[in-house]
Amino acid sequence: MATSPNLYQRVVRITHIYLGPAADRFIARQVENHLHKDPSRMTTDDLEHLIDWIRVAVSLLTDDAEIIEEYVQQLQRLTDHDKHKPNPKDR
Amino acid sequence: MVIDLMGTGVLSAEEERAQANALFDSIGDGAIATDEFGKIKRINPAALAMLGYKEKEVLGKWFPTAIVNVDETGAPLSLIDRPITKAFLLGTTISDRNFFLRKDGTRFPVAVTVSPIIHNDRPIGAIEVFRDISVEMEIDQMKSEFISLASHQLRTPLSAVKTYTHMLMEGYMGDVTPEQKRSLSTIVSAANRMNELISTLLNITRIESGNIAVTPKSVNLIKLCEEAIREVRRSAEEKEIALSFKYTSAASAKTDALIAKEILNNLVSNAIKYTPARGSVTIKLSKRAKEYIISVHDTGFGIPEEARDKIFTKFFRAANVVKRETSGTGLGLYLVKGLAEQLGGTIWFDSEENQGSTFYFSLPN
Repeated sequence: MATSPNLYQRVVRITHIYLGPAADRFIARQVENHLHKDPSRMTTDDLEHLIDWIRVAVSLLTDDAEIIEEYVQQLQRLTDHDKHKPNPKDR
Repeated sequence: MVIDLMGTGVLSAEEERAQANALFDSIGDGAIATDEFGKIKRINPAALAMLGYKEKEVLGKWFPTAIVNVDETGAPLSLIDRPITKAFLLGTTISDRNFFLRKDGTRFPVAVTVSPIIHNDRPIGAIEVFRDISVEMEIDQMKSEFISLASHQLRTPLSAVKTYTHMLMEGYMGDVTPEQKRSLSTIVSAANRMNELISTLLNITRIESGNIAVTPKSVNLIKLCEEAIREVRRSAEEKEIALSFKYTSAASAKTDALIAKEILNNLVSNAIKYTPARGSVTIKLSKRAKEYIISVHDTGFGIPEEARDKIFTKFFRAANVVKRETSGTGLGLYLVKGLAEQLGGTIWFDSEENQGSTFYFSLPN
């Protein structure tokens, strides 16, 4: 399991572009309610499930499908980014 | 292929779909299903009839704009406050009451339940089921009006009962024997109890109909607590209950003194009523960042665990106090909660059965 202590902050940073100051609270609520864990304990393995929920929640806040897709893609890149990052232990 | 729910045999996927459609369409309440993008995928005839739309007018439309949720003033609910959004944010079923706008712009009250649809552990949409509660609301309104009217009508004869009983006791109508005086005194206390009950019913009616007037003024909370204590001191003394008041510093809040006092009187009277003889009741006033907390601690019967989530509901009385204290309507804490909310405060408690309870009441500073 890839653990990234800054993952939550990175998700919030991306979300901030779309939801502004509500981003932190919005993501914290999503993590707590859907992943049932503390936001600081979020891992890249959780991202896919989290993105599913974020997509449906944001789809009820705006009907701009392009914006939603752009936002979701930005979040998905976090998964790819972390997956491709070399693990120092493997060296 | 799946097993037929109706027990008629094995169904093909098409038959299964047709059966699911029939089930959806025959729901008596309104039902709307959305996909994961909030677009309306299905709407049943009951929903169409209530909303005044044709199916083609709403199918495929974005739910928040196609079906408008408004509050009691007619203002649209913010997207984040809509039950369907809450259901997705919290990932759970949400029940709420608000209003829907019909196609012709008129609104009607609804009780709504929304559940996210989860398939293979992924959210794929939501289903919103609702029913028109206009009749229920009218009945509620009529009930409130009836209670209000009945209470007013009861007060007038009660005043006459009290006045003439006092006159009898004071000897205005001839000498009264000590035995007669005791009987008259019982009539007065029964009349006082009935008066309190009428006041409670009237206050509840006012809260429920949204007609309670809140007049905020600068209130010295220490004086307020002292006054409330003075009013109940006699009943505490009768049970030899030690009544004390603790506070740390001067406390002044902008609130409605009458309502705050009503809350406090209720809490302190309850504490005395449900505490056995020679117990103690302590009122504390303290300050937090943006609010004052008044707590009423007693060494009474406490609230059993199974009764705790019902304690602020109307007409509820915990089983352990019903056995010991026959008087009581189960309206006091319901009223107190409603009044506290009118002042922008909250009420909560800690309790342990046979050890006592502490009720806390917060007042915005």
